[in-house]
This record gives sequence, structure tokens and C-alpha cells, in this order.
Amino acid sequence: MKKQDLLRMCVQNLLRRKSRTFLTVLGVLIGCCSIVIMVSLGIGMKESQERTLAQMGDLTIITVNAPQNGRGKAKLDEALIKRIKKLDGVEAVTPKQTLEVETAQLIAGAGKRYVADWVTIVGLDTEAMEKMGYQIIEGGISDKSGEVIVGQFLAYSFRDTLRPEGYNMVDRWSGGWDENGKLTNVPPPYLDPIKTPMTLEVVQEGGKKISIPLTASGMTKEDYSKGSETSDGIMISLAEFKKLNEKIQGSKKKPRPYDSVMVKVTDINQVERVENDIKVMGYNTDSMESIRKPMEKEARQKQMMLGGLGAISLFVAALGITNTMIMSISERTREIGIMKSLGCYVGDIRMMFLSEAGAIGLLGGIIGCIISFVASVIINLVSLGLSPDNLLPALLGGPDVSRVSIVPPWLLLFAVVFSVFIGLGSGYYPANKAVAIPALEAIKSE
Amino acid sequence: MNGPDLRSRPIIEVKNIRKEYPVGDETVVALKRINLTVMRGEICCIFGTSGSGKSTLLNQLAGMEKPTRGEVRIGGVPISRLNENQLASFRQKHLGFVFQSYNLLPNLTATENVAMPLLFRGVPRKQREEAARKLLTRVGLSHRLDHFPRQMSGGQQQRAGIARAFIARPDVVFADEPTGNLDSKTTVEIMDMICTFARDYHQTIILVTHDPEMASYADRIVKLIDGEIVSNQVNDKKERKRHES
Repeated sequence: MKKQDLLRMCVQNLLRRKSRTFLTVLGVLIGCCSIVIMVSLGIGMKESQERTLAQMGDLTIITVNAPQNGRGKAKLDEALIKRIKKLDGVEAVTPKQTLEVETAQLIAGAGKRYVADWVTIVGLDTEAMEKMGYQIIEGGISDKSGEVIVGQFLAYSFRDTLRPEGYNMVDRWSGGWDENGKLTNVPPPYLDPIKTPMTLEVVQEGGKKISIPLTASGMTKEDYSKGSETSDGIMISLAEFKKLNEKIQGSKKKPRPYDSVMVKVTDINQVERVENDIKVMGYNTDSMESIRKPMEKEARQKQMMLGGLGAISLFVAALGITNTMIMSISERTREIGIMKSLGCYVGDIRMMFLSEAGAIGLLGGIIGCIISFVASVIINLVSLGLSPDNLLPALLGGPDVSRVSIVPPWLLLFAVVFSVFIGLGSGYYPANKAVAIPALEAIKSE
Repeated sequence: MNGPDLRSRPIIEVKNIRKEYPVGDETVVALKRINLTVMRGEICCIFGTSGSGKSTLLNQLAGMEKPTRGEVRIGGVPISRLNENQLASFRQKHLGFVFQSYNLLPNLTATENVAMPLLFRGVPRKQREEAARKLLTRVGLSHRLDHFPRQMSGGQQQRAGIARAFIARPDVVFADEPTGNLDSKTTVEIMDMICTFARDYHQTIILVTHDPEMASYADRIVKLIDGEIVSNQVNDKKERKRHES
């Protein structure tokens, strides 16, 4: 028999008992829907979890510290940086060093009007900043002498010396928060640090004040996983840092080891391995991994549980298919006998019944996927608030949208393929039963 | 007993077949040592009362059942020893069936029913349905091409059944009480149709019946009583002529 003839017969036979076919398809459809929706909820859960973690910090950053009781060997020095750079899966490495002075004031504006006290000054490998994942939101990175990179909200650290105490600073949080937890009506700061020349005033060891003029070449986005300096500090290149340090402390003192080393790993799955490699060298490490791992495990367990619930309903649907096929075979016993006596191959008879069962699975799978996709959009729409503006985010998501239910294309494909396999699997036994019917059935009188 | 026969080559050869059925603890012997040879182009009537074993013999001849002992050859092929798939392809090429209860598939039109043997052979739809329509027109059903079996009378259904049996130009057509459910006028029409087809294409017909009237259409009459052949004679041609006219 030709393939198109098998297909035609399959469709014809399914249409013969429309209500029975419909009910069987409905069973598969419900099973398919429950799998897709359950798994999509699991995926949504996992994604919102990762989003929460990502807000807490960069998941691929490892911070390396010297061991607390480490006397001697395990120092954070240039040799260590080189060793870490050679590790597999390391994207970039930068040491970090904070300027240790008694007082450091940043002064800006005409007549030294604006003053910021206690500004953190950090030296790091400015060339690696971009790779490390520092986001530059204004200007660019420069390692020219006297040029620095400022934190996003450094401007709010300045006080106005012409105003009375208590009214001399701009409160970034004064506008309150909107319903999504975002700051609103943020008042502008006194100055724009990128455009304003500043002066750093520090007190030397001997008690003498020195002034260093600075200009900001760029501004980083606030990211506490990389340190508070991205919010309200100043970052300079290591070479500049060394010069600055010598100016303040004098060149005679031995250079200190780095305060810490930050390692950026290429992929989230490599974090654990790289972290272990560094620990083996005898250093303390710190990353989001210790939080992420158990959360991921829990999410996976929940996902399995939800998917399992969905799978059960699809297996119930499989019983429905088997039942339908057995009924249809006992109705068509005589027909099968006639077909055999007219020379129909056994294989064709098997294919006939398998294709009917498979078609029920396919149909249920496709319709189920369409319905569950629509249901997923509706769930998201309800959770985001019913308005036409939310339709697109509910459908596609976005960087700031956390959807309850996420249906990736692979899930739909998987659901359809799985439904077809369920159909074929549950048609297997009935098809073999049909094949065993002898041609003699055609002659038996009713 | 054996008159002169111009059709020299045998098409069906039955050698010593025996068929037993287990019924409860006992064994019922339906056929005892049957030997039979049917020549190519013959219309052979297997005649007997109910319970004589005639239907059982037909089942053995057509390969529907395997004999307990002995062998059936059609055109030299030992069909009692073929497996299911070999049998299916043998049926496609060499055998046709006309059933007492017509056995058209209820969800297919007359054309589709007639075209079915070609469908199993893998003949493209256009081609096989054209052949089916031609043959249906020949049996006088040109006005019933797209009707379903339930929309046709018994005689019309059986004519479609005959068209189906002959469409693949088989060597042998088995007809099991083909007119058992029909009135006498239709019976004559149907039998004439079968005989005409058989003669036109030089095909062999095995006709199973309990009706002595029917036997008169045959070239050879095999009488069966209690699973044994009691007579096997070539029919007098004059009698046959009389019937045809």
C-alpha cells in the first residue's frame, strides 16, 4: 500500500466514529496541556529565581581572599593572578586594592562648595573591567594620569557646604518607590561628576595635606557583587593607584599584597570547578554558587514533580487510546478479515492501526500545545495585570518582566513528539491484535 | 468419469488433504483424504449439503486455513506452506473472492471497494479507480459508482463484489454461495456475469453451493458428503447451454 493511501484510510477511519475520536483526542489534549503548563510553571519559577539571584550579584564572579590564618605563603600577588589566568574557564582576573588613608575628601564646584567625605578609592586592572562585567553607563575607561572612573551614585555623596547641616545633601530615596519596587521621582544631585573637575584631598603620613586634581572619564553601573565603589566610589588603574599610594605613604614602604582578587568565569556551569581549583591553591573563595546550587536543586525537584503530574494524565490518555483502538478493532474484525482475504499485507494492517493511534496522539499533541500556549499567555497576563499593554511582555517576556509560565519552543516540540509516541505506544498492542485476525473472519457468517 | 478435456493444464491440485478441528476434548474430522485437480479455465462446482465439508474445502483451497495433512498447489505454488506475507502477495496476484454476504467495506464507495485489491498492490489512486469505474460500468452499476454499500440492493452489492473479485485479473476466483442471499431472477444475472467474466479472461472459478440449480453452470461438479468426495464429473455441455440461453 502506498503511504498516501494509508494516510487517507487513517483519516477516513478516524472520521467514521467522530465522537469517539474526539473524546480520545480530548484525553490526549488534556494530558499534553497538563505537561506543558506544569513544566512551563517550573521553568518560570526557575527563571524568576535566577533573576532574583542575578539582582543580588553577578553569578559568574568569584572573589578570592587570603586565608585568615595564612602566615606567609598564600599571598595575593602578581604570581597568583598569573596562575588563575591560566585556569580553564577563566575569562578575566583583576586584583583589587583599597586606598588606606585617614581622611580622603573629594572636592568639587566653585569655591570648594561641594565636598564628599570618606570616598572609597579602589585600584584595579582597568583593562579587564569590561571583561569582568563592569557596565560603563557613561563615558569610557581611561588609564591616563588623573583620570578616574566613578560609581553611579557618587554624586549623591557630596554635601553643599553653603547649606545648614541636615539640609545639605540630596536624598536619592526621597521620592519613594512605585508599585514595582522601583525608585521614583529621584531628585537630581548637585553635580554631574563626569563634567565637573574634582580635587582629591588626602592627609599624608606626616600630617601634611596634599591635593590631587581628578577628572572622571566614565561611570559604572552600581553592582554590589563587584564592590560598593561601583556605587559611590572611585576606580583607578593599578599603576595610578601605586603612584597615589607612594605620594601618600612615601615610596620607601614595601608594597602591600592585594586586598582581594576577582575572577570572572566564562560560564555559570564552570564556577564550581574554578572555585575548587582556587581553593586547592590555599585561598578562600566566595561566590553566589553556594546560594545558587541548592536553589537550583530545589527548582529542579519542583520541576520534576510538576512534570510528573502532567505525565500521569498523559499516561491515562494513553489508556484511552488503547481502549478506543481495541473497540475499533473488535468492530472491524470482519473488515480486517476481508482485507486480508483480498491480499492486504500484515504489515499494512499494522501500519493502519498504528497510524490511527499515532494520529490521535499527534492531533491531541498539536491542539494541546496551542491551548496550553494560550493558557500560558493568559496566566502571565493575569499575573501582570489585565491590560493590553501587558500583552507583549506576557507573550515574550523581557529583561524586567518575570513571567509565571514560560513556554519555550523545545517544550512544545517535546510535547508533540511525546504525544505521538504515547499514541504509537498505546496503539502497539491493539495493532498486533488486529494483525492476528485471520482472513477466515471474512467468510464466517454473522 | 473423465471426459475429453481440451484445457489440459491443471491449475489447482489437491493432494491427500485432511482437516481436523478440535471440539472440546474430541477431534472432528471435517475433510478426509481429499484429492482433486481443477483445470485452468474450468468452472468447478463444489456441491454438498451443510456440514458436508464444502466450506472447509474452500478454506483449504484458498489458503484461509492450513490443512492438517496434505498439500494444496495453485499454479504449482504450495499455498498451504506459504507464510502470511507470501500468502498476501499470492492473493493479490492470483486469487479473487466473491462472498455470500458480499462483504463490501461499509465506509467505502462502490468504486473504492472495487479498487481495493489494486490498493493493496500499491496501484496509484487515479489508475485503480478508473479501472474500478470501468468494471462497475460493465456490471451495470454506472449509476452507483459513488454509492455506499448501504445505499445499494443485494444484487447491486453482489455485482460490485464480482467486479472486485475480477479487477486484478486473478487466475482463480472463489465464490462461496454467491447467490445465497439473492432472489432467483438476480441469481441468474449474477451467475451469468460470473461465467461470462471467467470465459472472457480464461479464469478458473471455484463455486461452492448447496443449490443443485447452480451446479448446472459448472464444467465440473464435485459432490461432497461427510468430508469425502463422492463424485467428480464433467458436466454435460448441452445442459449448460440450455441454461445460458
